[in-house]
Order: sequence, then structure tokens, then C-alpha cells
Amino acid sequence: MKKITVFLFLSTFLFSCEEVVDIKVPSGEPKLVIEAVFEVFFDDIPITAYTEVKLSLSTDYFEEDIPIVTSAIVTLKNLSDGVIIDFEDLDLDGNYLPVISFIPEDNIEYELSVIYNNEIYKGIASKIRTPKFINVEQGVKTLFSGKETEVIVEFPDDANKQNFYLFNFSKNFYLSIEDRFFNGSNYNFSFFYQEDEVELPTNVKIKMSGVSRNYYTYFRVLANQSGQSGGAPFQTIPSSLLGNIINTTNTKNFPLGYFHIAETDTYNLSLIE
Amino acid sequence: MYYLKKTLFLLTLFFSFCFYGQEKLTISGIVYDQASNETLIGVSVYFPDLKSGTSTNEYGFYSITIPKGNYKISINYLGYKTINENISLSKKTSKDFYLFEDTENLDEIVIETNIEKLNIKTPQMSVNKLSVKTIKQIPVVLGEADIIKSIILLPGVTSAGEGASGFNVRGGSADQNLILLDEAIVFNSSHVFGLFSVFNPDVIKDVQLYKGGIPARYGGRLSSVLDIYQKDGNNKNFKITGGIGLVSSRLVLEGPIKKKKSSFLIGGRSSYAHLFLPLINNDNEAYFYDLNSKINYRFDKKNNLFFSTYFGKDVFGINESFIAKYGNNVVNIRWNHLFSDKLFSNLSLIYSDYFYGLTIDFVGFEWDSGITNYNLKYDFDHYIKDNFKLSYGINNIYTKFNPGEILPNREDSGILPSKLTDKYANEFAAYLEASHKINSHFTLRYGIRYSNFSRLGQNEINTYENNSPVIFNQTLQKYESAIANGVEIYKRSDVLASFNNFEPRVSFSFLLNDYTSLKASYNRMSQYLHLLSNTASPTPLDIWAPSGTFIKPQILDQYAIGYFKDIKDAQYSFETEVFYKDIQNRIDYINGANLVANNYIETVILNGKARAYGLEVLLKKNEGKVKGWVSYTLSKSEQITTGRNENEPGINNSKWYNTPYDKTHDLSINLSYELNKKWKLSSNFLLQTGQPTNYPVGQYQLQGLNIPIYDDNRRNADRLPSYHRLDLSATLTPTKNRDRKWQGEWVFGFYNIYNRKNAASISFTQNQETYRNEAIKTSIFGLVPSITYNFKI
Repeated sequence: MKKITVFLFLSTFLFSCEEVVDIKVPSGEPKLVIEAVFEVFFDDIPITAYTEVKLSLSTDYFEEDIPIVTSAIVTLKNLSDGVIIDFEDLDLDGNYLPVISFIPEDNIEYELSVIYNNEIYKGIASKIRTPKFINVEQGVKTLFSGKETEVIVEFPDDANKQNFYLFNFSKNFYLSIEDRFFNGSNYNFSFFYQEDEVELPTNVKIKMSGVSRNYYTYFRVLANQSGQSGGAPFQTIPSSLLGNIINTTNTKNFPLGYFHIAETDTYNLSLIE
Repeated sequence: MYYLKKTLFLLTLFFSFCFYGQEKLTISGIVYDQASNETLIGVSVYFPDLKSGTSTNEYGFYSITIPKGNYKISINYLGYKTINENISLSKKTSKDFYLFEDTENLDEIVIETNIEKLNIKTPQMSVNKLSVKTIKQIPVVLGEADIIKSIILLPGVTSAGEGASGFNVRGGSADQNLILLDEAIVFNSSHVFGLFSVFNPDVIKDVQLYKGGIPARYGGRLSSVLDIYQKDGNNKNFKITGGIGLVSSRLVLEGPIKKKKSSFLIGGRSSYAHLFLPLINNDNEAYFYDLNSKINYRFDKKNNLFFSTYFGKDVFGINESFIAKYGNNVVNIRWNHLFSDKLFSNLSLIYSDYFYGLTIDFVGFEWDSGITNYNLKYDFDHYIKDNFKLSYGINNIYTKFNPGEILPNREDSGILPSKLTDKYANEFAAYLEASHKINSHFTLRYGIRYSNFSRLGQNEINTYENNSPVIFNQTLQKYESAIANGVEIYKRSDVLASFNNFEPRVSFSFLLNDYTSLKASYNRMSQYLHLLSNTASPTPLDIWAPSGTFIKPQILDQYAIGYFKDIKDAQYSFETEVFYKDIQNRIDYINGANLVANNYIETVILNGKARAYGLEVLLKKNEGKVKGWVSYTLSKSEQITTGRNENEPGINNSKWYNTPYDKTHDLSINLSYELNKKWKLSSNFLLQTGQPTNYPVGQYQLQGLNIPIYDDNRRNADRLPSYHRLDLSATLTPTKNRDRKWQGEWVFGFYNIYNRKNAASISFTQNQETYRNEAIKTSIFGLVPSITYNFKI
């Protein structure tokens, strides 16, 4: 539905003009940002997984560098057998990799813990299933400018449960949808790259991940606030975005970010002119 | 109940002395415009010898009961020549008056807050009246004469900015305005997502805006009543009025069907097809239209029947991939009946709906939503004595809410048909109000409105643990939607929730001398319908939701006092008012609430309160070559949503926060200057505090996205830059008009003449090329020149 609101502005956009302005923004306390969004590529043979944990700090809005965190202790615990996997940032770039590579299993809860500045942060996640793409192809339709590039995606939805999906059309174009209006059917929709967003011909990797209801809600707001959708005067009142990780030492100093484990199907598509 | 008893007691008291005293006679009738036989609203009928008078009601009717005798009578209406006659009243008299438009003196009255001195005496305060002539002269964007953009120049009225729908009165939200067109409720007042209003100025007879001291006959919305009446149609001659503008063209036909008995009016306005869009791609469409019609039939002196309709629609489509359609329909039958020369009645039967439809081909669905209501009103004006008038009536509104239905738009879509649960409600109200002139200085109006709202049974309604659809997650410290623990099924005849409210309305005026008065008012209002919107200004997609088990009705108490003065024989007038408003049950939403297509809206709502207070000043020059007004408002509008218990933070940490329409300072100046018979100039200047907004307190990165951080403890604490602009317009009336039937005029306009880039919003986003964060100001209208041609035949 996100795209809908975008179109609502089009009429006003025709008169409107945008310019970059200098605004003095308030300054907040830096917070720990934990990005632990694991992906299990179940269609690969053998199955592979992305299990990196990225740690950084929030900073003032117009600051150009995002401070990374290299001094934290990161561990992951399998809550059913109690096995703990250590994560290390060997390159000192804020990216923590498991010491022993592993594939998150079905129906297992994992607990992520991060110790930073003597405070302990914890979050729990288990893997969310996803179906495979039926088809991904380039379409010929356009939208407003007539110069968009269409990608048509088709996949089967599981009728037996409520599903939430996060699509990554690469280049940081995300779309989160729920199956409420197509539960159990083979659903297809189109995504459009704006003219200035892709340079044809090119290859894009399209990912479909199964996500939890909470992550879906979280991501919808996240994408909205990052400026991927919305605009004046119909923009919603922005708010802080609390994920699913808590600071068990000091609740008030809550972290940002999310711990999520998804099954992901990928599709490499060549876009032509 | 207490209020009701007290009122009944007072009324019996007054009735009892109504029936004694010297022999009195009633003079009654209708006041017309001589040229068109159009009835005139709010005409003063005054007996200087008695220092007593009345004014015509919405249907041009007046009635006054005075002692036998010979009197001077003065019929006075702005823009018309005053009639002064001697009248010998020896028996019950029925007398109509025909007023001539004051064409000699081209000084049409620009704005009529005080209809002559008499108005200083009436207890009605916080009301503004705009004439259509004024509205047509006020410079507006693209020359599209606009009622709503005009009332924003009045004190206490603002909007959420250019391209924003609706208007805000005294710090109230846009959904708190009761917009009536020929007594029918209009749900959506804008075209093109807020750029233009839906009212075609050529068919409008009268516009009144009540901001406070709202009479008991109005109810259902908290902040204001915008009461608009359409013309009845010229009863004497066939007339054509029209205009050609940059955005749309208008044409109104009116004339007699049977002279003195019946007339018709039919008016249309349509934007040009492919409004704005053809520049970009020819497969797109965007247009709007309005169709107004009215027929009236006067059976005899006592019975008059009106039938009127309004249809308006906006269509916006792109390549058949995206089509949005929305609009209002109103059909309405009214019957005026005189039970006696003292008792006027109007019975209205009204159908009104608002629909919103959307087709999005690339996700494969069609979406329809809307609201439909059936309204029965029976209103009485009872002119008991010259110093005592009663108004009473009943009103019943049955409303069906269709929050949305989704259908696949093509065979291979994969979308399954589904429907959000329809909701039903009935609102009944009865009121009684007295206007009572106690002595030559003191006039009182007091009344009560009783309203009952019943939320009727719907197919399915969820139940929640502890009856709490929103839960607070202590661990994550955030509000979350609860998952239903059951579903209940009801019959349509069941009542899910019922609310009763007594709404007292009291106002008085105290005349200090012939030119000066003090007024004060108190009114309570209840509002049972809520527009669900968590954006700065309403969008056509927003859904109306009824009060019920989980959403309580909003209740307002408003207090206002004012000082009113006519200066130099009403050449100038000055008025100032102070108001305070308190609102119970103002809803707000949990963080991240999704309101679009949400079937369980109760799971994202938090209950709060709102308040607003302020000072309004209006200085006007009513006569002369230079006319106009200066209006200034100093106000505060804020909201509080506290946690439901001490463990919850509520919104903004349970502290007061600015509403999105809080504007501390609001200055508007409107001046018109009559250069000569040919040229008339008009200008506006506006200066307002910037709208409240939220600036990020930081940033972070996640999944490659750059995300601004907002602080929940400082909601709406930042401001957009101040808003100001100057507009000019020039109206040219060619001299050759005088000798011919065809009357034309040109209106040249310059909106925002110094091309100020006023911020409609400031958004924070990362530049996709430089990867630097930027604050981007979006401004909607820079300098916009326009030209409009209006004609009359």
C-alpha cells in the first residue's frame, strides 16, 4: 500500500519544488545499533546463510561518518540445546562473524547477546519460512514518467498461515507486504525502478525473505522514515523505532536495530533496455 | 438530566408571561432580492421607534410580534439599498420586502461580520460571514475562487498549508468542522487532494462560519460549523453565469419555471481533462467536476418545497496502472411550512455519501470505501414575542460506514476478494433554544441539545483480553496491537454501545452603548465520528470511524468572551475575542500504527485529551474606496495522551504536545481598493508561525538504509520556517458593460507575488549520489499568475 501514498502527492508535486536547506537539528545521545538480520538461502546447494552481526553507533543527523563498534562481545545461543556460538570482528570493521559457520535451523529459538560498555543487550529470533519464487521477469509497463522499469514477481503464498514478506530489489529498494489480501494464492505484483534508479542494461539480484509480523511492522515504518515513501503533507508523524532487542542492564538506554532470521530466495535478473 | 430540568423550568416560566400583556400583532414575511427573487438570509428587520427588530432566517423568513401602532420600519442588508417605510400595524400583517442591489455605490461590503448595528446586540459571537462577491475578489492560487481558502483569512482559521485538505478552526482538527451544504453534511471539502474546495462560488448564496457560541441546532462536530446555502435560482428571468479560468470552467443556468412559484438552478464546474498531467504523459488523466442543481416550488404563502443535489468527483489516473476516484453525493428534499405567522418549520430529508475508490493494477486490486448517511431533520423557528424566540427541532442520522472492500482487478491477479467489516450507527438529537431579549441592553440565548449515538450491530467484532485492544510491552517498552481472543457476531438491530450527551449552549450580549457590546458564550459539543488520520492533513484515503465499544465520543467545552465595537457609524468595526476549549477523548495512535485498510483500528488507538486557547482580533473597514480587514490570532493548540497506568509512557512521555495545526501567530490582511469604475484591486498578506514538525535527533544505518532517529519525548516540538506571502488581484470591468446584457469581468491574479518558497514540509533523507544526509524543503506554490474571465447574461 506504500506506493499508494506516493501517488497521492503527484498532483501537488507538479507545482512543488524541492530544495536542500540548512536546518539546525537537535542532538541526541548516541545509541548502540545492532543489525542482526540473518538470511538462510535455502535454495542454494548446499544451503548457505548470511549470519553477520553489524554494530555501530547512532550519531547526529548531519554527521558524515557513522561510528562503528569493534569492542563488543557478541554471542548467539541456541535456546533448545544451549550451544553458544561466538562472533568476532577480526577486521575491526564493526562486522562480527561467527567463529564457526552455521545454518540457523527450523523451529529453534536463538538468543543474541551483545555486551558493550558493560551493558548487556539481548534479543530472540527464530527462522521464518518463505516459499520460492514462481517467476521473476522484466515487464514493459510504466508508471507516471513513462520511463520506469517494471519487474514482475510471482510467488505462491501458503494458505495455512499468515505470511509476511520482505523483498529486496537490490540498491536498497525494499518492499514489505503481508498476505492478508491474497492468502493461499499465487500472487504477482510489479515493482518499478525509477528512471534514475537503474542504468540499463544491468543485472539485479532480487531477494524474497519470510519475515515475522513484528519485523514487517518495524520495517514498514523504517522504510517510511528513511524516505523510501511518503512526503508532505501526508507524511505520518515520525516516531522512535524500537526493535526487538533490549538492554537488560539499563532498560532506558534501549538499542536500535533488530535481530531477525529469515529464509530467503534469490533471483538474478538481467534487465534490458 | 439536570440541565434538561432546569431548561424546562425556565421555559415554562417564560411561556407563562408570554400570554399576558398589551395587544400585540405579528408582522411576518419574506425578504427577497428584487432582481432575482432570491430569498435573503440574515436581513435586519428593524423598528427604530421600538428599538426592536429581528432578522430573516435561512429561508428569508422573518416574523416579529409588536404592539399595535404606526411605526417606521427599516429593512437593511449589506450590499442592498435600505428600505425605510412607515407601516401602520392594526391587524396581523403579512408583508414581503424586495431589496434592490446597491449598484450605484459599487462599494460592496467586503466582509460582513456585523450585519449592521443590530448584530452587535445579538448574542451570537464567533461567527463570520463571507459574501460570494468577496470570495470572488480574494486573490487565490490559479484564480480558482474558493470558499475555504477565503475563510482561512479570518481570525482563528488556519490550514495545514498549501495543498492540504480542510481547515482548522481555533486549534481544532479538520474533521471537527461540520460542513453543511443546504443542510446536508459534506464529508470531503476538497478537490485535487486539497488544492481547491468543492464549492462552486457561482451557486452559493450565503456562507457562515460559526467558530464558537454554536447554536443548539447544530451538533455532531466540535470545532466549527460552515453553513453554506445554495441559491434557489432566479425567479424572474433566465440567467446564465459563468467563468473561464486556468484550471476549470463554470456555468450556471437559472430561471423561473413558473413565475413567483417555481425556479430552477443548475450549475456545473469542470476542470480541464488531464489537469496538469498532459505535460508529462498522455496516458494519464486527472480531472474534477461538480454538478449542483436545485428546484423549488412555492405552493402558497405557507408551503415551499426545495429539491437540491450536489455531485462532485475527482478522478486521477496513470496509465490504467493507478486510478483514484473520490467524491461526494448529496440529494436533499426540504419542505418549508408556516404553521402560523409565528411558527416557521423546515423538514429536510437528506442523503449524503462520500466514496473513495482506488485501482492499483501493478498489485492487482480494486479498493472501494465510503460513508453513507440518511438524515432527517425537522427544525422550527417559533417567534413568540418580539423579545422572545424559540428554536427547536429533532435530527436523526443513520450512517453506514464501509471501511473498505478489496477485489481483484484482473483475472490473474491473485488478490482474493475481501471486505473490512461494515459499521453502522444512528445518531439522534433534539434541541430547544431560546433567544431572549431581557432589556434594551441585555440579550440572552440559551438552549440545550440532547444527543444519542448508538453503534449498531455489525457482522463481526473482536474481543480482547481485559477488553484492551492495545497492550504495552513492558520488555520492549512499546505499545503493540493486541491479538483478538474472540469474535462476536451481532444482528443489525443490536446496540453495541450507546452514548447520551446533554449539550448546553449559552450566550449573551450586553450592550454598553449603541456601538459597543460585550458578549460571552459557553457551548458543549459532542462528536461521535472520528476521521482516522495520522498525517499532518487529512487525505482522501482517510476513513471515518464511529464511536463504539473502544472509541469514545469526543466532548468539547468552549468558553469565549468578546468585545465588539462599531466605529464611525459602522465605517469601521473592531472585535476581539478570547476563547478556551477543552476536548475529552481525542484519539492518537501508537507508534508505527497502520491506519490504511486496518480492520481492527481499535488496536492502534490511544485515548487522550486536547485543549486550545487564544486571542483573536479583527479590525475591519466596511465602507469607502479602500476596504478590508486585519485579523490576528494568538493561540495554542495542544494534546496530551497519558499512559493508562504508571508503567506506560503514553505519547510524548505523557506530557502536552503541539497538535500538528498549532500556529502561535496568524496574521492576515485583506485590502481592496476601488481605483475607478473599471479597475478594482485586492490583496492579501499572510504571516503565520510555521507548522509544528519533527526534526531528527540523530541517524543510524540498517540494512543499507540511512534512518533518521526521532525522539518520542519531543513530539511536534520543532517548527517549519514561518509562512508568509503576498497576493494581488485586479478586476477589470469593461465600461461597455453598462449598455449591454452581457456583463463580463476579468480577474488577473498573482499569488505569492514575491515568490516566497514557503515550506510545506521538510523531509530528511540521504542523497542517493553523494550519500550525504540532507534536509529537503518542499514548497508547493511559488509565484503563480492567473487570469479568469467571469460573465453574466
